Amino acid sequence: MTNGLNFCNRNWMKEIKMSKISDKIKSLDHKGLMTHVVIGYPSMAETEETIYTMANAGVSLIELQIPFSDPIADGPTIMEACRVSLENGTTVKQCMELMARVSKKVDVPLLFMSYYNIVFNYGVQKFCEDAKKAGVSGLIIPDIPPEENKDGFYEACDKSDLDAILILAPVSTPERINIIKNNAKGFIYCTARMSTTGSKEDIPEDTKTFLTKLKKTIDLPLSIGFGISKPEHVAFIKDYADIIVIGSKVIDIMNENKKENRQDAIASFLKSILKEC
Amino acid sequence: MISANYLHPKKTRKMKMKNPVSPNFASDDGGHFGEFGGRFAPEMLMPALIELEEIYKECQQDEAFQKEFFDCLKTFSGRPTPLLYAENLSKHLGGAKIYLKQEGLGQTGSHKINNAIGQALLTKRMGKKRVIAETGAGQHGFATATVCAKFGLQCEIFMGAVDIKRQRPNVFWMEQLGAKVHPVEFGQKTLKDAVNAALKDWITNVETTHYLLGSALGPHPYPSMVRDFQSVIGIEIKQQVKEAENKLPDTIIACVGGGSNSMGAFNAFLHEDVQLIGIEAGGKGLESNQHAIRFKGGKVGVVEAYKSFFLQDEDGQLKETHSIAAGLDYPGVGPQLAHLQKEKRVSFEHTTDDEVVDALKTVMKYEGIIPALESSHAIAHTIKIAPTLPKDHVIVTNVSGRGDKDIFLIAQALKDDKWFEFLQSQLDERNKNE
Ligand SMILES: Cc1ncc(COP(=O)(O)O)c(C=O)c1O
Repeated sequence: MTNGLNFCNRNWMKEIKMSKISDKIKSLDHKGLMTHVVIGYPSMAETEETIYTMANAGVSLIELQIPFSDPIADGPTIMEACRVSLENGTTVKQCMELMARVSKKVDVPLLFMSYYNIVFNYGVQKFCEDAKKAGVSGLIIPDIPPEENKDGFYEACDKSDLDAILILAPVSTPERINIIKNNAKGFIYCTARMSTTGSKEDIPEDTKTFLTKLKKTIDLPLSIGFGISKPEHVAFIKDYADIIVIGSKVIDIMNENKKENRQDAIASFLKSILKEC
Repeated sequence: MISANYLHPKKTRKMKMKNPVSPNFASDDGGHFGEFGGRFAPEMLMPALIELEEIYKECQQDEAFQKEFFDCLKTFSGRPTPLLYAENLSKHLGGAKIYLKQEGLGQTGSHKINNAIGQALLTKRMGKKRVIAETGAGQHGFATATVCAKFGLQCEIFMGAVDIKRQRPNVFWMEQLGAKVHPVEFGQKTLKDAVNAALKDWITNVETTHYLLGSALGPHPYPSMVRDFQSVIGIEIKQQVKEAENKLPDTIIACVGGGSNSMGAFNAFLHEDVQLIGIEAGGKGLESNQHAIRFKGGKVGVVEAYKSFFLQDEDGQLKETHSIAAGLDYPGVGPQLAHLQKEKRVSFEHTTDDEVVDALKTVMKYEGIIPALESSHAIAHTIKIAPTLPKDHVIVTNVSGRGDKDIFLIAQALKDDKWFEFLQSQLDERNKNE
């Protein structure tokens, strides 16, 4: 009989929890900026172009989201982008191919973001191996907590030298913080609020307390995301985190602009954000 | 009388199977039923799920909770529900002796009330004031709205826009009972999307809100907890068949959406020598790609925070489903049923929309009862197999709900002109008065 929890058995030393990603963040003389695209939205070609725009603007990390039909942690903006991408016929194979293409051209660590069903269906081991071959540095899969490691997801990430990025939320209890801390690699993704993804008007004041509390016990870099959409937000929170995450806002900008203006609009938005970083 | 503490885990596990190697059909502490189940939830929901699990464990040991639950089942919902010997139908089919467990006779017209009462009591205990729920056929939403009215809880229901159209009578009652019904406009706009919408709301409001999930699916502890609240169905069946036949039933048949009425009916018999059959929505047939036949048509995946069988494509994107019954039109299936299928303890069949409408007509004609379209799936299979079985073979078919809610759908399926004339006259009258 098991106790039902299938923790990974990795026994990390502190040193190996650091990685290419955390080294890069620690070496910056400003706060890191992680941006995000939904692969295949609005088209595969524009996704690729957007990644180059982001890299040229000077972002530190880019999340490439493989669209899933039922993205439970995402709000309306990213859900709709996933739906359109899938309707365009985006497949996981195409996402791997795009990753392989762009990772050769940009010098920014790239991550895949998706949901566990995508990884599980592809084959956990094979997904990690192929992602590594395509040039991925880390995975953000919000629905595979460390307790659910029966399929060996975390070991597969280790074996392929991918950082499995874990998430902490304002409601995380001290027990959960410990579990996440002991299994995290690269950085820890902290959410600024209790919500799904999506641009918001402001950042709750408690976010500072939340991050301050985590900083006391966690050595890995902390990223802060969910709702960040303005330079003022960055100015408000940057002293408390190492990486600022901008997700839905870039999609909003895509939606607000005609195709021919999109890349310029994204570039100038990122410039305004990076100025605060 | 039903013993008041059947929720206690130890009381339900007595092995009496002929098979010498009796597998353990319950979950481990992490909510895994063999390879299925678990808690594949985003971090934001983990603390709430752990809290719920702990409170539920406490309640299993708490006699006061058990008593309140049972009093409510009895006086509010009207348990025990009767077991009807369907004598005319049995004679007409000329084979097995058919009994119908009439869950539709309880408050709000389906088994969903059992679980709604249990979880409403838990919500009170947790001190939460707001309840959200998903609903497909509207029966779970209706049951939730009812218990929220009774226990003074704020109630918000997520329901696919397509299902709102299909099951208007239930939407009407939910709103009259004070619930806010949110139409879900994304995805296929049916049950799965309603679960997604409820999960998203829960992520945002988890500190004040309980998610009163309506079927034996989702992350641990829901599959076990919902099963336990529903297992009163099987416990009653056991006693009622014993009184009528002085033996165990030979076969139990139940329809399977997520698995709450079926697990409720099966749970007391998992370790007995009783054949258990789950009936999935055959829609327009397995070949049509318009169905919810998860076991034959799907494969293992991890969606909506649990591992089970899902209808999905090669990449793991969920496929569209179809059933005449809004409550069965769901691409996943509860994890314990997936385990029981793998262990060959429960077998699965499906019946098509057309067979279901025929079965409904047959049971109305011979027994004078009107089952829900969901439950009519189980009846359709009963009608198929009963003639092939001996006269002393006892089948219990779970009639999970009554059909009042389906009046619009059935009128349409039966092409009842008088009904549409009536609807037109209602509209005309309203227009005249305005
Ligand atoms: C009457 C009735 N039966 C069955 C179901 C299917 O759900 P489950 O498989 O959880 O019993 C529903 C769901 O809405 C229902 O309303």
